[in-house]
Amino acid sequence: MTTVSIQSLVKRYGSSTAVNGISLNIEHGEFISLLGPSGCGKTTTLKCLAGFEAVDEGRILFDGRDVARLPPEQRDIGMVFQNYALFPHMTVAGNLAFGLEMRGRPKAEITERVRAVLDLVQLGGLGARYPRELSGGQQQRVALARALVIEPKILLLDEPLANLDATLRDEMRTFIRDLQKRVGISTLYVTHDQAEAMTMSDRVVVMFGGQIAQVDTPEAVYDRPASAAVARFVGQANVVEGVVAGANGDRRIESTLGSLPMPQRLGMTPGTFVSIIARPQAIALTAVASGTPLAGTVAARYFHGAFIDYRIAVGEQMLNVQAVPPALHEPGDAVALGFDPARLWAVEAA
Amino acid sequence: MRASRVLLGLFCLLICAYLLAPILVVVGASFNAGPFLTFPPRGLSLRWFAAFLNNQVFIDAIARSLWLALAATAISGVVGVAAALYYVRFATRAKEAVRVAILLPLLLPEVLTAMALLFFFYAIGIGTRLGVGMLVGHVLITLPFVFLNVVTALHGFDANWELAARSLGANPWKSFRRITLPLIKPGVINGCLFAFIISFDTFGISYLLKDVGGATLPLQLFDYLRFNFTPEAAAVSTMSIVMALIVVVATEKLVGLKIERF
Amino acid sequence: MTARALAAPWRPMLLIAPATVLIGVFLILPYLNIVVMSLREPATTTPYGSGFSTGGYAKFFADFYYVGALLQTLWIGLLSTLVCLLLGFPLALQIVRASSRWRALLYGIVLSPLLVGIVVRSYGWTILLGNNGVINRALLDLGLAQTPVPLMYNSFGIVVALSHVFLPFMVLPIMGALQAIDPALEDAARSLGASPRRTFRRVVLPLAMPGIQSGAILVFVLAVSAYVTPVLIGGMRIKTMAVIVVETLIDQFQWPLGSALALILSAAATLVVVLFMRATRLRWK
Repeated sequence: MTTVSIQSLVKRYGSSTAVNGISLNIEHGEFISLLGPSGCGKTTTLKCLAGFEAVDEGRILFDGRDVARLPPEQRDIGMVFQNYALFPHMTVAGNLAFGLEMRGRPKAEITERVRAVLDLVQLGGLGARYPRELSGGQQQRVALARALVIEPKILLLDEPLANLDATLRDEMRTFIRDLQKRVGISTLYVTHDQAEAMTMSDRVVVMFGGQIAQVDTPEAVYDRPASAAVARFVGQANVVEGVVAGANGDRRIESTLGSLPMPQRLGMTPGTFVSIIARPQAIALTAVASGTPLAGTVAARYFHGAFIDYRIAVGEQMLNVQAVPPALHEPGDAVALGFDPARLWAVEAA
Repeated sequence: MRASRVLLGLFCLLICAYLLAPILVVVGASFNAGPFLTFPPRGLSLRWFAAFLNNQVFIDAIARSLWLALAATAISGVVGVAAALYYVRFATRAKEAVRVAILLPLLLPEVLTAMALLFFFYAIGIGTRLGVGMLVGHVLITLPFVFLNVVTALHGFDANWELAARSLGANPWKSFRRITLPLIKPGVINGCLFAFIISFDTFGISYLLKDVGGATLPLQLFDYLRFNFTPEAAAVSTMSIVMALIVVVATEKLVGLKIERF
Repeated sequence: MTARALAAPWRPMLLIAPATVLIGVFLILPYLNIVVMSLREPATTTPYGSGFSTGGYAKFFADFYYVGALLQTLWIGLLSTLVCLLLGFPLALQIVRASSRWRALLYGIVLSPLLVGIVVRSYGWTILLGNNGVINRALLDLGLAQTPVPLMYNSFGIVVALSHVFLPFMVLPIMGALQAIDPALEDAARSLGASPRRTFRRVVLPLAMPGIQSGAILVFVLAVSAYVTPVLIGGMRIKTMAVIVVETLIDQFQWPLGSALALILSAAATLVVVLFMRATRLRWK
């Protein structure tokens, strides 16, 4: 069942187009992330969905009903803002009760539901506090609770973890995702942080310049990106230009690095110009033996603890290669590059 | 460092003396036992307070000033808050024009505004009757204060609060009443307090637009002080100071004054 | 994020409608009317005649009485503004730096002239400044003067009284500007090697400038248009433009001349304000 359907959404600000024809379906219970750099239109899309911005073209359907004319208070949404936007003059309980009061629920019911949601976000007993008395993480959870307690059709989150420090962010990521699964609510999550999008979502929507570049599961977006731009945004990527060559059964890609094995699952014909996408984990480094076709020099090495980041210079190009410790190669060493065709990907060159 | 701090403190003490001097003089003079308005008072007595309380002219003037101030403040309050909301939220090209227009009575001589209203009301046939011109004049000169104070309060107001309220199901009016208004209350109260004091105290507008027998307190005091040399006027002044203090203290206790930006 | 597109298009209009009507009908129109009035023919039995002439303006320039009064009024305004600045800035500084207990008290004292009422405080000054007033009697008693020092019925007295009246209007904007300065900025300057004096001059003062500007403009305009204080303190001997305007209007019943004089006063004041804003903007930007 489709909760929300966005059809050919267009939103302009003056002479610039922020959202340029977006279509997307959010199924019931799905966690969808809008991922992209700042200015890509993801927040604008969220605002249009919420009703904070008017739509220029296209339709937005909630359970099949066009909501474009409806003001935010009639759309049955639950929104979590980047800076939480907790009402400072009300207690936590007051904040949580607000949405229910707007819906005219009886007092007894409100008290009970507020208590239940406070337990749900593990803030039981803090109802009488004021937002300013809580830590950042606690305020974040109150904001979440306030959006959830009204049991809206869809949960909208606008970069909610941006203001938290790194460890808290990791904790909250899992917290929000677990909560969402438990409650089973359709969710749209806006972020520029690819790690968030990848770890939390059922599907990721990558956006550039007001348009959707790819909609897929996190694995698909990572392993089979639709373009070099998507590949670079979602994790690190080495992008190498080349052209498909060879006969059936022995396809190669002649690239600027040399001859590379062509990934079997790609069905491109010889002569197609392609961009090869190789993740840093997909390249193996070995000591150079004579006659090794693909070789380079270690330009730099960075130790990350769990893995090692190598910068390998091959001719004019610089490749990122990730390896598991211990570090076998020093800066200045000559190394051979091994490309596993099972983990390579290529897209037609733009 | 300490020296300059001490000097600053001393200097400020002198300025405070300068600020309080005329007030102390008037209050002191109102306790004069004799019929002469002198300071320090010769003999202490409350006779002039009694005299003024029996003086219907002054009682009427105070009542008129109070009603006028309340009415002007109420109207300015509503119009000012609405205008401030418009100015801060709906930024359009006309924005600066709106701001200048509202501040105009403050930036131009009060005499000019008073004259303008006088001629206008004569031109439309009402003249100074019904006290309409007077009320309009008072609203015009109090509006800037409400406007400025509420605009300042709104600048500290996070727009997301209202959006959050809307997302939770509140229509614009409910969102204003439950979220915006409580949070800008200090600014509104401050502005209304200023408005009240300004209206109560204004002379120019009242002087030109007053109806026959419709003198406000400043006008009445002015008349009295020019031609009457008893301490009765000083007693009235002292009473009005006490009243103003009561209003301010009451407001502080009830609402809590914040030292807002002007 | 503005709540722009949420409501129906008529909602913002509704908010500004009352103010627009109020200002449009009762301010703009009447101001325009004054300009028209200033160009009308004077008359003897009625406030104004039926024709039009620029006689009012001609009269202003022809008679040195009027020009002199205008210059004197502007001069008094400038002096009052200067005094308010010199007194108001330290006061604002002190209030902002004081602990909250003192701050409330100081704030109250600063506002006290406003609470007291213009007539009352001007009258208080007459008691203080008169030849037989408190100050003079003290001076005579202490032997510091042989004859009473003329503190009233001259520019000096008016400036003293006006500065007193309008000091709050200088202090409040400056306070606002000072409060908005991030305390970290002063620390940053000190850490870069600036002495407290230099920090004040190069960091605090420029940042307080907008408040100083607002305060100065406000005080100047108010001082130049003041009526009650100059009347009570200046008496018959010295009349500011506002006093002359009211006289022309109420006593002489000459509306066209009065309008012309009022407009000239406003134009002169606005000119000074604009020049001031140009000058300060160039220096502190």
